Amino acid sequence: MSDMKDILVTTIERIYKKHVTKEVVDVVETGGWASAVWGILTDSEIVNVALAEEHGGAGGDITDLLGLYHITGKYAVPIPVIEATLANLILQQCGGKPTANNATIHLQKGVQIKGGQATAIVANVPWARHVEELVTVAEIDNQLAIIHVSLQDADITLQQNLASEPRDTVVLKQAQILQQYPITAQKWQLFTCWHTAAKNAQMVGAIDRVFELTVRYTKEREQFGRPLHRFQLVQQHIAHLAGEQAMASAAFENMSAALLKGTALDEVAYTTICLDEAIRTVTASAHQVHAAVGVTHEHRLHQYTRRLWAWREEGFTASYWKKERANALLTATEEDFWTYLTSTK
Amino acid sequence: MKLPVVQFTEEQHQFRATVRQFLQQQQAQGTYTTKCDSWLSGSNPAFSKRIGEQGWIGITWPKKYGGAECSALDRYILIEEFLAAGAPVAAHWIADRQTGPLLLRYGTEEQKQTFLPEIIKGTCYFAIGLSEPNSGSDLASISTRAEKVAGGWLVNGSKTWTSNAHDAHYMITLVRTEPFDGTAKHKGLSQLIIDLHAEGVTIKPIRYLTGKPHFNEIFFDNVFVPDNRVVGGLGNGWEQGLAELAFERSGPERILSTLPLLQELIKELKAQQNEVALQEVASLVARLWSLRNLSIGVAQVLAQGGEVAVPAALVKSIGTKFEQSIPEIARLLTATFPRLDAERALDRYMAEAILHGPGFTIRGGTTEVLYGIVAKGVVANE
Repeated sequence: MSDMKDILVTTIERIYKKHVTKEVVDVVETGGWASAVWGILTDSEIVNVALAEEHGGAGGDITDLLGLYHITGKYAVPIPVIEATLANLILQQCGGKPTANNATIHLQKGVQIKGGQATAIVANVPWARHVEELVTVAEIDNQLAIIHVSLQDADITLQQNLASEPRDTVVLKQAQILQQYPITAQKWQLFTCWHTAAKNAQMVGAIDRVFELTVRYTKEREQFGRPLHRFQLVQQHIAHLAGEQAMASAAFENMSAALLKGTALDEVAYTTICLDEAIRTVTASAHQVHAAVGVTHEHRLHQYTRRLWAWREEGFTASYWKKERANALLTATEEDFWTYLTSTK
Repeated sequence: MKLPVVQFTEEQHQFRATVRQFLQQQQAQGTYTTKCDSWLSGSNPAFSKRIGEQGWIGITWPKKYGGAECSALDRYILIEEFLAAGAPVAAHWIADRQTGPLLLRYGTEEQKQTFLPEIIKGTCYFAIGLSEPNSGSDLASISTRAEKVAGGWLVNGSKTWTSNAHDAHYMITLVRTEPFDGTAKHKGLSQLIIDLHAEGVTIKPIRYLTGKPHFNEIFFDNVFVPDNRVVGGLGNGWEQGLAELAFERSGPERILSTLPLLQELIKELKAQQNEVALQEVASLVARLWSLRNLSIGVAQVLAQGGEVAVPAALVKSIGTKFEQSIPEIARLLTATFPRLDAERALDRYMAEAILHGPGFTIRGGTTEVLYGIVAKGVVANE
C-alpha cells in the first residue's frame, strides 16, 4: 500500500463519517441528492487521484482508487464517485482525455454506432440522472470501442436497484460521441477486471461494515440477563461472519496487489466468486443476529445488506466469472490443476 | 485483522519445482501411491527417511542442529507440495511441524542436540499426547499424573486419539505435575517427553473408519521419565501448548487434505469437456485460492512472531469444511463409486475423502471449540 493511499483513505473516511449519515442515504434512496458530500469530494480533487499529472491528477494507480472504493462501500456513500473516477481512468487508459464534467460508466455490450452517432437502449445505468456524460462500450465494425457520449439529449427513465440506488434506463438516440477509442481484446479484459475489482472493493467495504455492526450489536443487546455474544449459537454466527470477512479481506488485498502488476484475471475472478459466497453467509447471519430490529427501515443494517444483494447482480457477476474460470480450466495447458494454480502464486 | 499479502520469490518458485519433480519421480518409481489425508494417515518410515536424506525435514531450524535455516514460507511451499502429491509424510509430520519448534523455543540444549538431528534425518518421530478418555475438547481437565521421584517423574494415566503413536518413538505428553485444582485447572500442567518404548507404556491401536489403525490409546503404568525430559518450565505446559496451536491450525494441511480428489475431478471433467460442471468447480477453486492466501498470510505473521490465534482458528475451521466439501460436490458432478481399493483413482480418492472427512473438523480442535475462540477474540477486539 502506498503512503498516498493511507492518507487518501484516512482523509476520505473522515469526510464520510461526518457527512454520510443514515439520513443522507435515506434522502438519496427516496430520489434526492447528496450535494454536500459530492461537493466536498469534487472540490477537493480526490476524484482525480488516479489521473496523470498532465490531466490534473496525482499520478496514483488503480489500487489507490480501490482504497477509495472500499471505504465508499463501507459507508454506503450515495454518490457516483466510483463511476466518475473509473470512467476517467478508463478514458485515460485508452489514451483519451478525462472529462471535467461528471460521467458514469456502464460496460455491458449493446451500443451500436452508425454514422458517428450512438444509438441504444442502455438499462441499469448507475446514477445517469445525476451526471452529464456516459462512458460505455460499443461495437464499431465488429470491433470493440470505448465511447464517451453526452447524456444531454438522452431519454432517461428513472429506475433503481434493490438498494434504491439510481439505475436508470438511458435511451441514446443518435447521441453525440465526444471521444471514441477502439480497444484490443486484452484491453477489454483489463477494463472488465477493473470494473469488477471496483465493485468487489465496494462489496468488501460493505461486508466489513455489516460485520462491525453485528459484533457491536451482540455486545450491546442483552437477553436472558446476558449479552448476546455470550450465547454459543450466537457465537457460531459471529464465527461465520468473521470467517467470511477474513476471506473477503484476504481476497481483496491479494487481488489489489495483483492488479498493480497487470490484468489480474485470476485474482479478480476468484475474489468475485468468493464474495458471492461471503455475501450469502454475511447477510443471513447479520440479519439473524439483529433479529426484528435489523429488518426495520429505522435500523442502518439494511442500507448495507440491500446494497450487497443489489451489487452482486451488477456488472460482471460471479456467474460471469465462473464461466470464465471454467473456460480457463478447460484451456489450461499445465499438466495438472495444482501446477496451474501455483503458477501465479 | 489485516494479513500481509505474500509474493513468492523466483527462488521459491524454483524450490517448489524441485520438490515437485522429486515427488513425481518417487511416485513414478512406485515409492508411494497418492492418497488423500496422507499427512496424517499416510505413515511410511522408509519414505520419511528419504525426505530426511533430501534435507527436507526441519528446514527452518538452525544449521548447528542440522537444519537449513530456510524461511517459514519455504517450508510452507515444501509441505504444500507433499500435500498436493498426497505423499506419505505422516511419520515425521508432527516432529517437523510441532516438536522441533517446541524444543527450539523451550527445550534445553541437551534436548535440542539429542532430538533435532535425529528428527531431521527422518528417523525419529513424535506423537502428541493431549486428549484422554474423559478429556476431549475440555483439555484442561486431564488427569494423567506425574509424581516426583528421585531423578525424575513417575507417570500414571492414559491418553487417547493419539495419531501415529504406533510408529512414533516419543510423545510430547501433557501431564499434571501438581494436584488438580478445580478453580485453576490450567495450572500445574507440564509437557514431558515420554519414550514410547519405555517400561510401563502400552499402546493399543484404535481402528478408524477406514478400518486401519491410525490413532491409539496409550496407557502409562508407573512410567519413569527422567528430569531432563521435562520440556520448558514445570507447570507451564498449558501456555507452551497454546503457543504450538497456531502452527498446528493454520497450515496448508487444513486446506489440502483432499486436494488429490479435486485434482482428479478436474482432470476427469476436462476429459469430458464438461464446462457446466467446471463452473461449479470454479467455486471450489476460488475458495481454495482465498484460503491459501489467508493461510500464507498467517504463516508470514507467525514467522515474524505475531499473534495469530484468531486467524489460525479461522483457517482451520473454514479450511477443514472446505476439505470436506470436495467429495460432496464431486459426487454431484460426475459418476463415482467410492471404494478404498478401487482401480480408478477418482473412486479411491472419493472413498478416502469421505471416510477421513469426519476427522478433519475434529482433530486439532473441533470446529465448535474454534468458533468459541474466534467469537471471543472478535468480541474482545471490536
